[in-house]
Amino acid sequence: MRRLSPIMFFFTASLVLVIALLLGLLSGARDIHPSALLGMFNLSNMDMDHRILHAIRLPRVLLAMMAGACLASCGAVMQGLFRNPLADPSLIGVSSGASVGASCVIFFGGTSLMGGAIGLPAIAIGAFAGGLVATSIVYRLATSITGTSVSTMLLAGIAITALAGAITSLFSFFADNEMLRRISLWQMGNLDGADWSRVTILSLVVVPLMLALPRDGQALNAMLLGESEARHLGVAVESLKRRLILLTALGVGVAVSVSGIVAFVGLIVPHLVRMLIGPDHRYLIPGSAIIGAALLLFADTAARTLMSPAELPTGVLTALLGVPFFVGLLLQQRQKLVG
Amino acid sequence: MLKASQLSLVISNFTLLKDVDLHIEPGKVTAVLGPNGAGKTSLLRLLTGELLPTSGEVTFNGAPLNQWRPQQRAKMLSVLPQGSPLNFPFTAREVVMMGRIPHATGLVKDTEIVDAALSAVGGSYLDKRFYTQMSGGEKQRVQLARVLAQIWEPSVEGDRFLVLDEPTSAFDLAHQQLTLEIVKQFAFQGVGVLLVIHDLNLAAGCADQLVILDGGKIAARGSPESVLTAAMIKAVFHVDATIGVHPKTGAPLVIV
Repeated sequence: MRRLSPIMFFFTASLVLVIALLLGLLSGARDIHPSALLGMFNLSNMDMDHRILHAIRLPRVLLAMMAGACLASCGAVMQGLFRNPLADPSLIGVSSGASVGASCVIFFGGTSLMGGAIGLPAIAIGAFAGGLVATSIVYRLATSITGTSVSTMLLAGIAITALAGAITSLFSFFADNEMLRRISLWQMGNLDGADWSRVTILSLVVVPLMLALPRDGQALNAMLLGESEARHLGVAVESLKRRLILLTALGVGVAVSVSGIVAFVGLIVPHLVRMLIGPDHRYLIPGSAIIGAALLLFADTAARTLMSPAELPTGVLTALLGVPFFVGLLLQQRQKLVG
Repeated sequence: MLKASQLSLVISNFTLLKDVDLHIEPGKVTAVLGPNGAGKTSLLRLLTGELLPTSGEVTFNGAPLNQWRPQQRAKMLSVLPQGSPLNFPFTAREVVMMGRIPHATGLVKDTEIVDAALSAVGGSYLDKRFYTQMSGGEKQRVQLARVLAQIWEPSVEGDRFLVLDEPTSAFDLAHQQLTLEIVKQFAFQGVGVLLVIHDLNLAAGCADQLVILDGGKIAARGSPESVLTAAMIKAVFHVDATIGVHPKTGAPLVIV
C-alpha cells in the first residue's frame, strides 16, 4: 500500500476535475465547440451556444460539482467521527429523512405545489426538512447529559433509517403510477432542473462548509485514536461532535434536496482517497471534495449524453462509473499485500 | 502536583471508589496495584478528568482539574488509556506525531521529538509501517511513544504528569524493562508518573510510592519495602507469598 504524496495527489486530482468540468460544459444534447467557452462570460453574446452554456450547462455543472464535493467530504467527516470506514452520511438519517420529506411532498402535493418558494421546488424543501428532522431525532436519541454516544448514534441512525424507509414505502404503496415513478426517480438522484437560484442556495452552504470542515482535520485524526485519547490530546470532543454532526446534516441535507439521493459518493470517495494518500483528515477532507466533485461531474455528464436527448438518473451513473474504479483499486491493493 | 482528596465514585448504586486520597508529586513514580475490579482504572479516569467524582475533588497544578482549558491541560498531562480503538492505516510516525497536537512548536521541532520518542521505545524501525498491520506489542509501543512525545519537553504552563494504564500488558520481557527505564528517566526529569500495573515486582522495581487498592478503598500505601508484605498480599490478593530481596537492586521481591 504505497501512498502518493499529497502534492502529487492534489495536482492530479485538480487536473481530473478540470477535465471533468470542461467535458461537462461542452457535451450534452447539443455539443458545444470549445471556442465558445472563451466568450462564455460575455453576457451580451446571444447566440445559441452561449445561451445554452449560460442558462443550462454552467449551473448544472456547478451544481454537480458542489453536490459531489459536499457529499464526499461529509462522508469523510462521518467516517472519522464514527471511527468506522463503513460510515456514510446516510447513517445519521439525513438521506432517509429526505426521502420521506420528498415522497410526502410528491404524494400530497401532486403538481399543485410544484412552484415552491425561493426558487426551489417544493420537493427540495420537503427533502431538506425531512433530512433535518430525522437527524435531529437521531442526535437527541444518542445524546444524554454525559455527551453524545457515537455507538448509540449508529444504532439510532439505523433504527430511524429503517423507520423512514418504511414510511417511504407506505407512500409508494398508496401512490398512483405517476407519483410512484416520480418518487423512485427522485430516489435515484437527478440534477435536472439545475438553475442559478439552486446554484446560489447550494453555494451559500457548500462554500463555507468546504472552508470549515478541513479546520477540524487534526481533531478528527485524534478522534480516530479514540474519544478519551482525543480528549487527552486537548480536543474539545463534545463540541467537535456537535459541530460536525450539525455541519454534515446541513451539507448533506442541502445537497440531497437539490440532487436527490446520489448514492455511493459519500461512502466510496473518502475510501478511495484514503487508499491513495492515507487517513490524515487534513488532506482527506479536501481531497475527497475534489474527487467527489469530479466523480459526480463525470457521472452527470454521462447521464446527460449516453441516451441523449433523454437523461438517465445521475445517481445510477455514479455507482456505474465509480464501482469498477473502486474495485480495481481494491484488487490492486490485495495483490500488493499478497505479492 | 496532581492531588485527589476524598474521591468517591458511585455508578448505578455500585460504589466503585470510596474516600480515596492521593498525591502524585513531580519527579516521583506512583504505582497503583490491586486485584481486578479494585477500582484502579476508575481512579485513573477520575484523576485525568475522564469521569467526574460523585464527591471529592481533583486538583491539578494548583487549580481544579476541570477548570483547565483542554488544550492547556494537554500540554502538561499525558494519558495512555488501555487499548486504543485505532483501526485506520496511519503510519507509526503519524500516530506519534499526534502527540504533538496540543503544541505549536513547528514541524522541525516536532519531527525531532517524534524521532526521539520512537527511538526511546525501541520503535524506530516501525516509522513508516502501518499501525493496522502491527503486532499488539508494537502497537502499544507506538502509543507509548505518542504519550511520551506529548510531554517530551518541560512546559511553561506547569509540572508535567504522565499517566499510564497497564502500559506493559502486551510487552515481552525486554520491553517491560525498557518501559520501566523510560518511566524512571521521565521521573528523573521532573515528570510525575502514575501507572497502573499488575506485576508487583515490576512496580517495586520502579515506583517511589505504591498504592494498593482493594474494593474501592486504599488498602496500603507507601514505599515498596513497607507495602509489599506477606500479610498484605494474603489479605488483598489472597495469595501466599514470600518476600525476598532483589540481589542486585535491593528492591523487595515477591515470590509466589
